[in-house]
Amino acid sequence: MADKKRYGFVIDISRCIDCRACQVACSLENSVPLNHTRIWIHDQGVQGTFPKLSRTFVPYNCMHCEHPPCIEVCVSGATYKDPNNGLVLVDQEACIGCGFCVEACPYDARYLDEKLGVVDKCNGCIQRVEIGQKPACVATCLGGSRLFGDLNDPASDVSIALKNAKSLFRLDIEGKDIDTDPNIYFINAPQSLTSLVTSDAFKQQGQAVPREPKYTISEEGWKKVLVPAIAAGIGASFLVQATYFTKQLIEGEKEFDE
Amino acid sequence: MPNTLSRRDFLKVGGAALGALTVSRFVPPRVVAAARTAGLLDQNGDGYIPTMCEMCVWRCGVLAKVEEGRVVKLEGNPDHPNSKGKLCARGQSGLMNTYDPDRVLTPLIRVGQRGEGKFRKASWDEALDVVAANMLKIKEQYGAQAMIFSSTHNLSQVQFENLLYAFGSPNYGTQRSLCFNAMVTAFSLTYGIEEPSRDYTSVKYILLTGRNLLEAISTSETSDLMDAVARGAKLVVLDPRFTKTASKATEWLPIRPGTDLAFILAMINVIVTEKLGDCEFTARYAVGCDKLPAHIAFYTPEWAAKKTGIEADTIRRIAREFAAAMPDALAHPGWRTSNFINSFQTERAIATLNAIVGNVLTPGGCLNAENPEASGITLGKPSQPPYPRLSSLRLDGVPWKYPLVPLKLGVFQELRDAVLTGQPYQAHGWFIARQNPVLSLPDRQKTLEAFGKMDFIVTVDIIMNDSAWFSDVVLPEASYLERYDPLLPVSGKVFIRQPVIEPQGEAQSALWIYKQLGERLGLGDFFQYQDEEDYIRQQLAPLGNYSLEELRLHGYVEPPAKEKSQEITFNTPSGKVEVYSETLANAGYPALPTWEEPPSPNADQFYLLTGKVGQHTQMGTQNNQLLHKYEDYPRLWMNPEAADKLGLKDWELVEVTSEVGSVKVPVQVTPAIRADCVYLTPGYGHLSKGLRTAYGDGVSDSVLHVTYVDPVSGGQALSQTFVTVKKA
Repeated sequence: MADKKRYGFVIDISRCIDCRACQVACSLENSVPLNHTRIWIHDQGVQGTFPKLSRTFVPYNCMHCEHPPCIEVCVSGATYKDPNNGLVLVDQEACIGCGFCVEACPYDARYLDEKLGVVDKCNGCIQRVEIGQKPACVATCLGGSRLFGDLNDPASDVSIALKNAKSLFRLDIEGKDIDTDPNIYFINAPQSLTSLVTSDAFKQQGQAVPREPKYTISEEGWKKVLVPAIAAGIGASFLVQATYFTKQLIEGEKEFDE
Repeated sequence: MPNTLSRRDFLKVGGAALGALTVSRFVPPRVVAAARTAGLLDQNGDGYIPTMCEMCVWRCGVLAKVEEGRVVKLEGNPDHPNSKGKLCARGQSGLMNTYDPDRVLTPLIRVGQRGEGKFRKASWDEALDVVAANMLKIKEQYGAQAMIFSSTHNLSQVQFENLLYAFGSPNYGTQRSLCFNAMVTAFSLTYGIEEPSRDYTSVKYILLTGRNLLEAISTSETSDLMDAVARGAKLVVLDPRFTKTASKATEWLPIRPGTDLAFILAMINVIVTEKLGDCEFTARYAVGCDKLPAHIAFYTPEWAAKKTGIEADTIRRIAREFAAAMPDALAHPGWRTSNFINSFQTERAIATLNAIVGNVLTPGGCLNAENPEASGITLGKPSQPPYPRLSSLRLDGVPWKYPLVPLKLGVFQELRDAVLTGQPYQAHGWFIARQNPVLSLPDRQKTLEAFGKMDFIVTVDIIMNDSAWFSDVVLPEASYLERYDPLLPVSGKVFIRQPVIEPQGEAQSALWIYKQLGERLGLGDFFQYQDEEDYIRQQLAPLGNYSLEELRLHGYVEPPAKEKSQEITFNTPSGKVEVYSETLANAGYPALPTWEEPPSPNADQFYLLTGKVGQHTQMGTQNNQLLHKYEDYPRLWMNPEAADKLGLKDWELVEVTSEVGSVKVPVQVTPAIRADCVYLTPGYGHLSKGLRTAYGDGVSDSVLHVTYVDPVSGGQALSQTFVTVKKA
């Protein structure tokens, strides 16, 4: 077990400058259609009143969860967690484009490629990683905010960054039937983000890689992350999706939009 | 485990480029063959080719990933000091400029009215003949000076200049007076260098005045700044806007526009009167510091507080902190310093501030009085006869109206008045290369009127930019991924821009175009190179035994470094830092950095600020579909206090009016700007319907900008336009 990889991202929030080089790089590397994106930069907007202002950017993408809700709803088995490295991947040959996973993802980190009729998402640029390159977003990150690597390897960039982090949080979704246990670790968030976050537990524990810190998510946090009671939400979205799915079957191949 | 990584064709991204590409694939793969020979591509035509970016003028090193003759991805070249392995959003998106479905792929000759957008395709022979015939006609009838040449800074500019000087015209317009004239003129006079380089290795204190480094991105410098901030360096940002740079600052000071000079002068006052400076350095390397105490006595922090709106104690504290951090303190010289008519004095004050804390050239100092591009490497060049003697006045007033403006900078925005008045003589033709004066110059209406006075306009570009749209002939240039450009030395290495794919359509390199045109104009002797590769071989010749193939393989060669003199000298008349400038005194300007009061708006007016966003370069990239995908919709920023007074809500359409024009644009109500300012991202509001992505997107601030010229440096005062705003 010890030499098994667990790929994940560490994002240093203090260093993101919202330049969007990562997004353009990702779009090209992964042939993302012009009307979609695989990665995002959440902008809280300018906070405070003039001249006491702050603004924080939170880059994110698929969290490559330990317990991904998208896998549970995948009817074709196309979405799977790679047993060798922990990345959540989509086998697009097997994907039937039903879109259940798009709805199930509490981070809104997946999209349906209408033209190809398959679901797409961040794959950790595994095609680059396997030949020794960094993911496209990480390689070009001007602020040095995005890091990627093996969380099980104490010498990796991500482990070292976690060890030196001043603060840490994850966007863990915990509920009655859900615990995503995501593999994106956000570090060095400014004070203004503390409403979104708690947890210095990891520092106190002195562990290289935190396992079970406690997290909360603020009211002002990301809309999709906040969709309350994910478990209930999934039920509802099944209905919506099922309606669209049936409609699509009847009407043939048309643009499929949520 | 099934293979999940099947790559989709890149063309899905730029679907409309498919037609163009399909055609080019039947052309014999010259580039591919050469790249294979050089060892860059494998048998399938796949691999990485090192070249240089051209999405802005920072010129990062690029590794272009090529698959079967198509470029599919660009990476920052880790060997290049300007990229260090990274590219910004613009650099990453560069291949969409090349695969832009709106590329001009054949020469075009106008058939309709100017501005109607009706052109017919022409062969290169015909188009070049038409251009040469018109230029020669103008030369015969009115003299060579009746042709205006204008071009924005680029690597082939040396041959553009060759063309215009060989032709015999003194009228040369560059973007420089719309950009960095104030900095270049001030630092040339003070340090003897146009643009000192910045060193962030050990910096502990950074003062940015009007340098929005996290949005006006220079890849390596932006990264260096973020590293310094993460290391704990203090970052003080003076800006009327809460920019993304300000959001990373330790301290943001929303200074009143046009008063950075007062702030810096007060800092100098504190450092000089409290004797906090580096006296040893100033005694040895600077002239005029003895005159500073008396000169600067008036500029107290209390005086500056009234000008800047920043408390005297804050100014005093920052001055002391800055001096305490010396020589690890850096007052950034800025870049686009075309803000107010006093911007030249601001730059002189910044140069002085850095000098009095011994921050220049000393070991560990953060400002190097040496340009990284001038690393002691002398490239070869084709031999040529001397240029014809110029006897006419320049239409932009240099030097007869602007004695201190270097000829190669010029005062571009002044040209139009000469065109419209016919004084001191009438211009009749305009040759534009890789530039879009219709959108870049202030007062767009005036530029279009000047166009109307022209008998003939020709534009060289890769897309149908707005100036091309109003031209008589459009010549399609190869994009930066499709052509060679002259070599560029940076930090001891000589870098190459080389084609990574075949030019699409009939596009040709600037080196080829200027040579062809030169020959048709009877100036063949000035273009003594067979082709682009021959030109570069001639450049390489004096460096030693380097082959073009070797250069192509690595992207650069590194000639042995010359022994560096340990002596610190400055390329000024006195050989020292000229805090006191005899040159300025002789020209009748203040010899020491001196306060000049900039105009301020009336109670019902706002300062119209300009600036940058990290996703676009000036007015040249709005048609790039990938940048368009990730851009913010350009709205007019307004403080909530001001919006309340005017009864305006977020996203409401407003009419913005200056003394020269008016635009309608949605408002963005945000606390990130002073209540006496509004801000508009430049580069939008394209007129050319040949830009299908950019056309109809946003408005152009060039409609509003009033032409104001700094009398010393010739820089356009871009933030000195005042506007009124009302519900549209």
